[in-house]
Amino acid sequence: MGKYKTYLAGYAFLLPWLIGFFALTLGPIIASLYLSFTKYDLLTSPEWIGTKNYVSMFTDDYRLKDSIWVTMKYVFLSVPVRLSFALAIAMLLNQGLRLLNLYRTIYYIPSLLGGSVAISVLWKQVFDKEGVFNQGLAMVGIEGPAWISSPSYAIYSLIGLSVWQFGSVMIIFLAGLKQIPTELYEAATVDGAGKVRQFAKITMPLLTPVLFFNLTITLIQSFQTFTKAFIISGGSGGPINSTLLYSLYLYIKGFTFLDMGYASAMAWVLLFIIAIITGLLFLSSRYWVFYSDGGK
Amino acid sequence: MLRKKPLFAALATCALLLSACGNANDSKSGSGAASPSASAKASEKPSNVELRMAWWGSQERHDKTLAAIELFEKQNPNIKITAEYSGMDGYFDKLNTQIAAGNAPDLIQMGGNIMEYVGRNALLDLQPYVGNAIRLEDFDQSLINEATADGKLYGVTLGVSQTALLFNATMFNKAGVPVPNGESWTFDDFKNSALQISEKLGKGFYGSYDLSSDNASFTTYLAAHGKELYRSGELKFDKQDVVNWFSMWDELRQAGAIVPAEVQVANPPDAVDKSLIVKGQVAIQGASASQIFGYQALTEDQLGLLPNPAGPAGNGMSPPVSGQFITSYEGTKYPEEVAKFMDFMVNDPEAAVILGSTRGVPPSAKIRDALSAESTPVDKILYDYISLATKISTGNGYEHFPYDNEFIKLLKLTSEKIAFGAASIDSASEEFMTEMQKMLARANQ
Repeated sequence: MGKYKTYLAGYAFLLPWLIGFFALTLGPIIASLYLSFTKYDLLTSPEWIGTKNYVSMFTDDYRLKDSIWVTMKYVFLSVPVRLSFALAIAMLLNQGLRLLNLYRTIYYIPSLLGGSVAISVLWKQVFDKEGVFNQGLAMVGIEGPAWISSPSYAIYSLIGLSVWQFGSVMIIFLAGLKQIPTELYEAATVDGAGKVRQFAKITMPLLTPVLFFNLTITLIQSFQTFTKAFIISGGSGGPINSTLLYSLYLYIKGFTFLDMGYASAMAWVLLFIIAIITGLLFLSSRYWVFYSDGGK
Repeated sequence: MLRKKPLFAALATCALLLSACGNANDSKSGSGAASPSASAKASEKPSNVELRMAWWGSQERHDKTLAAIELFEKQNPNIKITAEYSGMDGYFDKLNTQIAAGNAPDLIQMGGNIMEYVGRNALLDLQPYVGNAIRLEDFDQSLINEATADGKLYGVTLGVSQTALLFNATMFNKAGVPVPNGESWTFDDFKNSALQISEKLGKGFYGSYDLSSDNASFTTYLAAHGKELYRSGELKFDKQDVVNWFSMWDELRQAGAIVPAEVQVANPPDAVDKSLIVKGQVAIQGASASQIFGYQALTEDQLGLLPNPAGPAGNGMSPPVSGQFITSYEGTKYPEEVAKFMDFMVNDPEAAVILGSTRGVPPSAKIRDALSAESTPVDKILYDYISLATKISTGNGYEHFPYDNEFIKLLKLTSEKIAFGAASIDSASEEFMTEMQKMLARANQ
């Protein structure tokens, strides 16, 4: 009886989450699976068309090809750069600095603001052809290109914005670094290992669980990036589809072209892509992630 | 970690909510016409009514509309109107979502796509109010017809407008280039003016925006050459027309007469505050005629309106039409009050003075007469332009392509590919035709 009561209390505490999950997450997920097999324009009722949405995604959607290519470029460039950058800053801050909390806060600020529309708008101004960044370059005699409005550079300005939001990743790295026992470094120093060797043989191996976590989270986030691309390209994904990230194209399909069935199918394909990549990451983790407690 | 899919979940959430509400709508529209429920609601006579109104436009239009709403609220203390205004960007995205979710604003500004929404049962039938709450006696019949389907009225026109070329007269003067005569100018005249202006004014100044991406300019060009974009299920042009179109613009681009691609992407002409015509750097761009107010409000330069240049088959423009309508959401709780406000917008003399011609030439002849005493120079430019366009238009009306939004995006993409040098005119035009054919096949299924 007492045991039953404990369970009940447990579920009662879980209730808010459970309601949220079933009403706001699971239900809609199932609905979107259904919608992905329909032609649905938002305003009239969905009409069953079988796998046609999926078929045309793979056979005749020139924009989707562009979009996947742009998204891959974005993910596979921004994730490593963002992680290395965050790690470098974390190590810098891990030198026993005074005012560490202050620095930590300052470096975290971009992440707090980063997802916001305002920062994207600001970014657009800074990297405009006549923006602050190019004015700075002009002072040292370099004529910068139009970072935002040229199809060859636009995606890099998005990647730059993503890298700049390294704060949360950095905080986690910093916490990981603080966990590494200092004795290890002392022992290594006594044995004559240099800084580089210490990094390669002590820091990196002991940091791999944190790295794995950051990598997974950042990868998933990057695949789902929307706001930056939407604001910076004015909702178009242009010029010439060069910033047409997957989620942005999904939005355009659903809300501009009113093809919600197709957009739902795209969402499922994205889920699939992310699942495969994350799955591979987990499979690979046993070969490179080192848990000092044996992963138990 | 796989559970973390905020975007996906959000989309799915929308989808579920939307589908649920969509069904609710269906059952409602199936239960019968709006009029019986309207009279039932009227008998309640609510003491405090809150309406929501959505429109798009520039700051100038926002200010005027807000002032008109304020006046209306003063005259009708029991009605409060919450304004939901924005630019054109995203306006219809948001509206579609609201309609699907069943919480669209009571009053909705619509454009040429009004019939799309009528077809989806999203708009209130206003016929029961015509003649009493909504007075249309002073309207041209054609303007009423534009918003009528199956004998029912779904919108009240707010103003007459037409696509136009907006030009910066001050720049023409500075360059010593005569302002063309709109009644007779041709594509050659257009090219010459653009070339001369950019040449005379030098680096950083351009005769025209690159309008090869502008769908209105393209469709008018086709009509001016005896073709059409689309009619009755068929494309009425071929690849050569597309090649000619882009070649004309490429020639001007090579000569430095039009805005280069990078600059155009950063300063799109349809964003009033970014447009280089306002900054006196570009002399010509496309716009809807009534938009001149928004642009003129931001510059000291003198702006003007020109019709599209003529080709072998005339200038291809369609006769002026209703630029915008005020419509009501089918699910509004206060149809009486909504009708009252609609009438106020088009028939109240005080409101007319406040609103001016921000949405085009007012539809009511009486109001037009009353306004003529107060008309500003910009009003006069608009009025003159509309009468000129009425006189010289040779096109026989634009039939919307079934996937209009996709066509607009495709034209823009094709134009950018050529302008940035990412594809040759020939291959880009070929691709354009292929994609148009695909859309057509999808529409005709």
